[in-house]
Amino acid sequence: MKLVVQRFDPFVDAKPRMMEYAVPGRDGMTVLDALLYARDYLDHSMALRFSCRQASCGSCGMKINGRPRLACYTQVAELGGKKVVVQPMDNFAIIKDLVIDLESFFEKHRGVVPYLIRADSQEMEKPSAEYMMKPEELEKVLQFTYCIKCGLCTSSCPTVATDSKFPGPQALAQAYRYIADPRDEGGEKRIELLDDAHGVWRCHFAGSCSFVCPKGVDPALGIQLLKRHVMSGRPPRGGGEGAKVWAASVSAPPRK
Amino acid sequence: MKESRLMLVQYATAVAAVALVSVHLIMQGVIYPYATAISFNNILSVYRNGFYAIFLEALLVVVLVHGFNGVRIILNEFRQTKPWETWVDLGTVLAIVVTVAYGTRTVILAVFGGASG
Repeated sequence: MKLVVQRFDPFVDAKPRMMEYAVPGRDGMTVLDALLYARDYLDHSMALRFSCRQASCGSCGMKINGRPRLACYTQVAELGGKKVVVQPMDNFAIIKDLVIDLESFFEKHRGVVPYLIRADSQEMEKPSAEYMMKPEELEKVLQFTYCIKCGLCTSSCPTVATDSKFPGPQALAQAYRYIADPRDEGGEKRIELLDDAHGVWRCHFAGSCSFVCPKGVDPALGIQLLKRHVMSGRPPRGGGEGAKVWAASVSAPPRK
Repeated sequence: MKESRLMLVQYATAVAAVALVSVHLIMQGVIYPYATAISFNNILSVYRNGFYAIFLEALLVVVLVHGFNGVRIILNEFRQTKPWETWVDLGTVLAIVVTVAYGTRTVILAVFGGASG
């Protein structure tokens, strides 16, 4: 098979160039396998980021044949044809070759306060009991907890391409994940952060984020549900119901 | 004003514009034959119908608010600096005020002015 990789070192090159590698194909070969073969046997200078090789860590996000995908989760055979073109993901600065700068991505993720907030800070630091959820409450947020922060959704988002302050689908879906969590009491704080000229309203529902997600998360859905709460100015239950559930768990006998 | 309020205005004016423009097109294209609907005398008589004058004024406000607020959103996606956002916001308000005032002037002149068929 022919592997075409975009190479670019911002400290050396004026512009990106495409390099071709002849890689012996085999059954079940993933694009990451092909890239690692090329790096190990054909060109040691190629830079790429990877880790788990099983679509769990989200490190090997790249643009494969024009679409953001995880290299470890994409088999060469499923792409059809004998040529695979690999480029770094769009909407990110390139550090070198296929390695992109995820700093602003994680900065935006941190910006939506992606953890449970309790009104009682002492209780938040040292919980006195297990915080419980009903199965139907879990159902509302479960798919959003599958996010592995690979950046594929952000790479495919047309708004991120033009608006550098837009949090992006990953951060917004995570904001919804915590706002919709009945154990959380920080929804109003997050809503205030997102009700901005470059906040949740800049999502135009292109839906490409949901299309490319390798974990089956539907960030576009999360963002539309989030808009409902931002419009009303309050989280689903304002934390009250969550506190009640928590109180019930506190009164339950301790687990052995 | 919070962005959510501005978006509420945007959605409300979108729904209102669909209703008002539909009625307007039906009136001008179906109830009156199109050729006579745009004649000077017909337009003047439409303006001098009190109900229709209010209807046209509402159409004017709804479409301009929706249109200029939409342009504001697009412009804010072009550049993300505070001065730019301030100028875009001011420009949007100014554009709405000026165009609504000019359109309202047309409605008032047609209703009360000296033009005659």
